[in-house]
Amino acid sequence: MEFIFEGLRKGLHLILSGNPEIFAITRLSLSVSLLATALAVLAGVPLGAWIAVKKFPLKKLLIALVNTGMGLPPVVAGLVVMLFLARSGPLGFLNWLYTPKGMVIAQFIIALPIITALSISAMQSVDPKFYNQVLTLGASDWQAIRVCLKEMRLTIAAAVMAGFGRLVAEVGAVMIVGGNIRHQTRMLTTATVMETQMGNFDMAIAIGLVLLTVGFMVNLALTLIQQNKVLAR
Amino acid sequence: MIKLKALRLGFDTGFTLAVDELNIREGEVFAIIGPNGAGKTTLLNAMAMLRRPENGSLTIMGRDALAPENRLFLRRAMSVVFSQPYLVNDTVFANVALPLKLRGRVDRAAVDAALELFRITHLKDRNAKTLSQGESHRAALARAFVTEPKLLLLDEPFGSLDERVKESITRDLRRVMKDSGAAAVLVTQDQEGALTLCDTLAVLVNGRLLQQGEPQEIFSRPASKEVADFVGVETILAGRVVSNQDNLCTVEACGKTLMAVSGCAAGDSVFFCLRPEDVSISLNADAGGRRNNFKSVVAAVAPWGLEYKVELDCGFTAQAAVTKQLVDGLGLKPGREVYASFKATAAHLIKRAK
Repeated sequence: MEFIFEGLRKGLHLILSGNPEIFAITRLSLSVSLLATALAVLAGVPLGAWIAVKKFPLKKLLIALVNTGMGLPPVVAGLVVMLFLARSGPLGFLNWLYTPKGMVIAQFIIALPIITALSISAMQSVDPKFYNQVLTLGASDWQAIRVCLKEMRLTIAAAVMAGFGRLVAEVGAVMIVGGNIRHQTRMLTTATVMETQMGNFDMAIAIGLVLLTVGFMVNLALTLIQQNKVLAR
Repeated sequence: MIKLKALRLGFDTGFTLAVDELNIREGEVFAIIGPNGAGKTTLLNAMAMLRRPENGSLTIMGRDALAPENRLFLRRAMSVVFSQPYLVNDTVFANVALPLKLRGRVDRAAVDAALELFRITHLKDRNAKTLSQGESHRAALARAFVTEPKLLLLDEPFGSLDERVKESITRDLRRVMKDSGAAAVLVTQDQEGALTLCDTLAVLVNGRLLQQGEPQEIFSRPASKEVADFVGVETILAGRVVSNQDNLCTVEACGKTLMAVSGCAAGDSVFFCLRPEDVSISLNADAGGRRNNFKSVVAAVAPWGLEYKVELDCGFTAQAAVTKQLVDGLGLKPGREVYASFKATAAHLIKRAK
């Protein structure tokens, strides 16, 4: 029992004393996950909206595939990306394996189906009559989608939070693709795993606390943006 | 403005909209009336290029409206107003400015002018979701006119509004439409609303366009029993023309002899049609020159809008619309004996299959 409190005390001390390694790890974790989320939003929101609006064969099958992708195990995503980026793999020439770029790609693949699926359902919850009205106001297809997405901004913001939350907490993919290399690809989650296995509970607890705080801060920021758009009732 | 030929549009339910021909001229206000489920909205959606017909041709402003490459151009030349306003979650100003923004234009003066047209300038900074129903409809109309459309499509525009608000908005809409000179297609169940706005009227029943022409013509001279039913001809009797002398026909129906001015020939099977507002009721036998006069018994008296509807048994059943004053003055109540009279010119004959 004692070692838990001791770990907590040391952990807090490490954070408050401004341990440079913890800060470097935090910065890398945030940059990788935020960048991957941003890329997934840029690709997934328009993609989801397009899938929702257009009629094409096998649409339901595609939506089912995207929905399945929401539960894609990070280790599988990591494994696939690693195989592609490995020196003898098809994208080996990029030399991105064990780099932050590789981790961004792996996390992007994890977040894309989440953001896409939530965007599909956001767009499908728009009243078709509202969509038709926007078209008759003189909107092109893409303009109409933009107006509807703006109307669904609360739901889209929730999708972004869900995507980011998944990425910042994810360990399997970044472990495989990044390799948890000190000063290069060590993330908050991979560091926590490693310190725990090495028995450095104070360091593990400190990093775990940072992880929680980071997740909270980012979601707080997004929630504030989201709730600001809510109509005062 | 709009030319439509041999248009066919089917539904999974088996309902088919089939319109042989429809021409809407520039500057004309064209109303399409019909009961629920007649296909009015479908027809309007086809004109708005929201539903693609399986067959037929649709030309709007000289361009083929079924060609995808013309769609955006034509949509930007027209405005559509639905029964719900469908405003975005933003200020009234932003809502009215939206059609301009979609066209890549910023024109605050045009937005202010449109707000002024529908008298909602004071609401421009309010969030559109906080407006009352009437205010929302005004915002939707301002949004429709901000682009100065050449063509306006109105689908049951104020379906959900109460009478007083509807009347005030309709008055403003009529003024703005007159000033703009835009052609308009109005689709509605509301016959009075259609009459106050339109130049030409068409009746759509069960997916078929049964009659089109001047509103007065349709209301007093319906071409078929379905149209007569829908436009409020309440007395419709099956009968036979006995003779025709200089277009004054003698008709036998329900064992009675009736007179009507019509071109029907002796021997024709007809429906004898009579509007309730054309029937007069009095206590004495003097019909005052009306050729049809029947001793009758009042069967029922019921309020009908601001007036009363009196059901009369004259050997056949006739409906008469009368003022409250007359109901009180003549003491009309079930069982009372009266005389019902109407002019031969007020009656209308529709030929029917034998």
